[in-house]
Amino acid sequence: MSRLEAKKPPLFISEPLTRDTVSQSLSLLSGILKSCYGPAGRLKHLHNGMGGYVCTTSQSSAILSHLSVSHPVLRVLMASVQNHISRFSDCGLFTAILCCSLIENFKSLNVASCTVIKISKHLLSLCMDYLKSEACGCRVSVDFSSVETLLCLVRSILTSKPACMLNKPEVDHLTMLILKAFMFTVPYCVETNAVLGKCVIVPVKGRRVVDSRVLPGLLIETPEIQLAEPLTVKRTCSNMIKIALFSVSMSGDLFNPEEGTIAVHHGISLEMSELNQLLNVGKQLINDEVGLVVCQKVMHPSLKQYLKENHVITVDRAGLSLVEPMSRMTGSKPIASIHSLSPGCYGSLKDVCIESFASKHFVHLIPNDTVVCSMILCNRNETAWDELKRICETAEHVLQLTIKEPLALLGGGCTETHLASYIRHKSYSLSTSSFKEIDCSQTQYQLVADGFCRSLESVACSLNHDDGEVLTDMFYGHCWFVPSGFSSVSNWSDVVSKCGCGINGNTENLKWRLLQGQFGCPIAQGCPKEPSVKVADFLTLDCFAAKCNGLQVALETANLILDLSYVIEDQN
Amino acid sequence: MARRPEPGRLAQEAAALAGAVRGALGPRGGRALLVRPTGQALLTRDGRCLLEALSLEPPTARMMAACACSHRAATGDGAKTFVLLLAGLLHGLRAAAGGGLRRALRAFEARVLERAVARGLRGHLLSVLAGRRAEAGGLEALLEAYLGGRLGPGERRRLARLCCEYCRRCDPGAAAVPRPRVLRLLGRRFAELHAAVAGLPVESSRVLPGLVLRRDFAAYCPAGGELRAVLVTEPLRPPLSAPGGEFAVGSEGQYGASRRWVERRTEDVMKRLRSGNVKLLLSSVKQEEVVIYYAKLHGVSVVECLSSEEVALVREITGVAPYAPFGDNARGEIADAAAATFCRPLLLGSKRCAHIGFTGLRAFRPHCLLLCGPVDSVNEQHAAALQGAFTMLQQLFKTVDRREECKGEGESQNEASEVCSWHPSAARQQLVIENISCNGDHVSERQLKAHRDETETQIVDPGLQGSENPARVQTDSQIPSNPVSHAKEFSVATEGIGSSGGVQKPHAKGEQPSGVHESCKSDSLVDSQKNYSTAVRAARNANAVTACECLDVGKDLEETSCNIVPCKCEKSCVSIAQNYSSSLIEAGSVLPVGGYFEILLHYYIRYYAKQFQQSEVTFVSNVVADALLSIPKSLYRTTEQNSFTKFYLKAVDALRKNQPLPMNEKGLESVYCKYQLVISVLHCATELLSIDLIIGIKRPLKKIEDYDSEDDF
Repeated sequence: MSRLEAKKPPLFISEPLTRDTVSQSLSLLSGILKSCYGPAGRLKHLHNGMGGYVCTTSQSSAILSHLSVSHPVLRVLMASVQNHISRFSDCGLFTAILCCSLIENFKSLNVASCTVIKISKHLLSLCMDYLKSEACGCRVSVDFSSVETLLCLVRSILTSKPACMLNKPEVDHLTMLILKAFMFTVPYCVETNAVLGKCVIVPVKGRRVVDSRVLPGLLIETPEIQLAEPLTVKRTCSNMIKIALFSVSMSGDLFNPEEGTIAVHHGISLEMSELNQLLNVGKQLINDEVGLVVCQKVMHPSLKQYLKENHVITVDRAGLSLVEPMSRMTGSKPIASIHSLSPGCYGSLKDVCIESFASKHFVHLIPNDTVVCSMILCNRNETAWDELKRICETAEHVLQLTIKEPLALLGGGCTETHLASYIRHKSYSLSTSSFKEIDCSQTQYQLVADGFCRSLESVACSLNHDDGEVLTDMFYGHCWFVPSGFSSVSNWSDVVSKCGCGINGNTENLKWRLLQGQFGCPIAQGCPKEPSVKVADFLTLDCFAAKCNGLQVALETANLILDLSYVIEDQN
Repeated sequence: MARRPEPGRLAQEAAALAGAVRGALGPRGGRALLVRPTGQALLTRDGRCLLEALSLEPPTARMMAACACSHRAATGDGAKTFVLLLAGLLHGLRAAAGGGLRRALRAFEARVLERAVARGLRGHLLSVLAGRRAEAGGLEALLEAYLGGRLGPGERRRLARLCCEYCRRCDPGAAAVPRPRVLRLLGRRFAELHAAVAGLPVESSRVLPGLVLRRDFAAYCPAGGELRAVLVTEPLRPPLSAPGGEFAVGSEGQYGASRRWVERRTEDVMKRLRSGNVKLLLSSVKQEEVVIYYAKLHGVSVVECLSSEEVALVREITGVAPYAPFGDNARGEIADAAAATFCRPLLLGSKRCAHIGFTGLRAFRPHCLLLCGPVDSVNEQHAAALQGAFTMLQQLFKTVDRREECKGEGESQNEASEVCSWHPSAARQQLVIENISCNGDHVSERQLKAHRDETETQIVDPGLQGSENPARVQTDSQIPSNPVSHAKEFSVATEGIGSSGGVQKPHAKGEQPSGVHESCKSDSLVDSQKNYSTAVRAARNANAVTACECLDVGKDLEETSCNIVPCKCEKSCVSIAQNYSSSLIEAGSVLPVGGYFEILLHYYIRYYAKQFQQSEVTFVSNVVADALLSIPKSLYRTTEQNSFTKFYLKAVDALRKNQPLPMNEKGLESVYCKYQLVISVLHCATELLSIDLIIGIKRPLKKIEDYDSEDDF
């Protein structure tokens, strides 16, 4: 027992946030993440110095999963952002930058952390109420009957990830493909509990991005099938192809998971008995007019030969990941027994053909009802392909979230600045009873609200990676970027043409305010207005659900970290 | 390696511990991030976790932490307050030491503290249980105050509301607070009754009907409407050869036939399930693929690999026994199936879970609490806090009896010389009776625990006693008091009356001392000797306060009122005859949070200590009274200057003028827990001051008692 006792006393740090090490590592992390943000973000090259896999990326999911931080406080922050990404795929950098910024801003206030937390919670509820209300000026509703808004949404996701190095035609091509793939997964007839289908991504590396394609149905890679051979499939009377899907091994091997022993008399071959049983199954499949047999595991060569002679196509080693979508697509039930076949297990297909891409051969299963599709995703090299795959998955996830809640937020920093000006306006018009309820003074509330707004604005500012200025207008509360080199212009209206999201043009006489480096902001500010033009092409849009969750998670995590009064680290 | 502990050193150690936990105390406290050697982070504000994470070196400090933790385990609350109060007490007592101090502490507890509570504090108490002063929204106020010491400022209100809603929906029949039976179930099985999702804001937490099993369906067949579910604990595919057995294959045909037979048996089971309208199969073991295949074919959903805790919970809330497919009644009806309203997959974060709407048994409606938070450690903190809250709520149903003498346990071993006599005939014994009657009917089983308590005649000053209660009849018991005889008396009393109104009646019975006397006399000496051994054993674990609960799990709330059986029959009957109620603190007693309990007790201890002539008792009283103030002082630490002083002066002023106290806090706290805390701290301090030598030994000490008493309710 004595050997198990603690050797070193635990490290006890009280008030960890006041320590320099925490603020330094926090600002370092914040700097790394800010430099990645947005379409003009800088790429990060991750490697481990010993050779091997190298990752070039600007995505939060890749950076956070590879980065190792030593300080436990930062580990909490990273874990929180990673959890957000695993739920929503998008807005990871937004969450992380906002969280760092909130911690830095709140920490510098001379207000007790428990009061800060209460006030910021109130501010968050103001934001969430505003975002969810009809009057919200920074959101647009997504109309699924036209593709315009959806295309904007997908395009914004693609352009915000510069590590793929996509040019404009490639972006347009991929945007169309992703949207097409998503449309395939929406079930044709909608019941009460509609479940979206699945898009299976098939990797093809070494080809151009524009060679990517989307096909309805599934592709199963089969190296042995000869292209030259014409494919003749047995069809049923209704011109369908009957498919049997086996999840059990058909190799004829004996596997005995049981604990007892089996004594076999001399001269008896159990393998023979198994093979006979398999051939019986084959006979029944032929009798039942099955045209295609797919096995998740291995099939015995004799059985394959037997079925082939009877014009039944066989595909084995399909793998577990394809069984579920195939079962969904064909309506077949995976068969786990080679002793009894129920006719209810078979599914049906419209057609089967052979496709080949870049030296790979696939059996293409074409279903009647296309809830499952395959996307052949091409890119030039391994690293860029990985990045592209992550983007496609993100975009698919965002579309799924959007169909649940058909809303989108204005991107390009406009939501952040708009929310900030809304909160600034709101915090001045709050009644005294609300201060009493939060148990704080009006000055404290103003201080925290100002810190909150500055954090939001700093996220918008980090979209700008050159030394140009970032402005906000006093009417819509949108975000405007001044190209670098125009820092000493007297009238800002001369140098800006469009706001960050692209919804407002510089047509009216707008009043401007600099976002960076200015502390005292003008008090007289009305509630920010909704843009007059409702829909426009080439808007920058963000996923509503992901951004709302990111905002909430960032604030809660910041509060969590501000609330820490000790770190006790066991050093054994 | 032996050394003498000095009171000064004890006070320093306690002050260091108090310094370590003070930052996490109360509604304005912060949380601690504990980093395990594995790198795993744990967020907590729980005093017990903090004290354990410190991995203390000095033996006396370890003992303080252990006392605080065991108090926390028993009442679900107060580890940090324990340390603070202990530090205050030891600081005050650092100058004095010796046997006199110990006696003074005991005398203080028996004479001053009890009187301060009985005559002073009692008048200020509120009640959350149905009764005279039932507080509306009492449960939420209690929970919010409790969670205020355990969660961050942004989460506590949301969680308190959620927990209230959860309690209400789990136990819709209960009045203000869920019944103790439900609370016990919630506390014990909370790990299975909640599900956590990381990556979502706390706002998204909610209550779901039914049970969420944290694994996906092995086979899912959509089924609408009411359905039945069976529980199995064995593989449904019969094996070809049993473990240890041998299966001889004589021919290829025989082998094939056997394989086919096995499959047919498996299919038969599924057919039988389907014909019995069973749509869901819950299995504690992994079933083979064939079983899943047949289940799918016959429209039976399967959830497999349930943990033993989940199986136990399902059995508890539905009352079903596991189904034996190849048992005796294999051909018969499936009788033991649980009813459920729905069964569907639920996406929790990125994980698919099985969501089953069990209807529940008796009054309990199973619900699942879905906890959301940005990181897992937040969810763990919330779950731990809620589990603690259920333990705390159970304490509401307990009462504290009044009694005259108190003595710290374990002292008899240390100071055998002081104890006059070890023979049970000379000692008065106290009796703790737990009366647990089950299922609403009066068939009850009783567990008897005898708590032995020695009297110290030098403390119980007859003169003082006389002045306190002039009408008291001093009948000193010379006969051996016998626990069994009292138990018999008590059982007769309760059965005759029924369980409602059980508070008063046993005492009414006790008012006939002659009857008790007779029964005591009629018992043989052998009987008392036999009980002596159990008494000594029980004295080790028994709480110093005669907390005796009669947790009735019947239908209505009145039945749950707890009571105390007076054990020193002669004296207590007299005192009860004079006073209005038997218990010092009644079930459901609460006070507003924010130092009211401490200030009230401080005030009344001071008030009653003035009447004492003994200088040592007065000294101890003043020390305890001042130590109590250290808790509100720490609570008001982070607010603006002088706020504690203002609050204190206002409260004391109101008390002097007999006005109601100024209340500005909405939260409530259980007085039972608070009183227990004071008693536990007094005992811990007495114990610490009684140690005269610390001996280092090489071999590890054998652990005698079970450390974690939380789970054996």
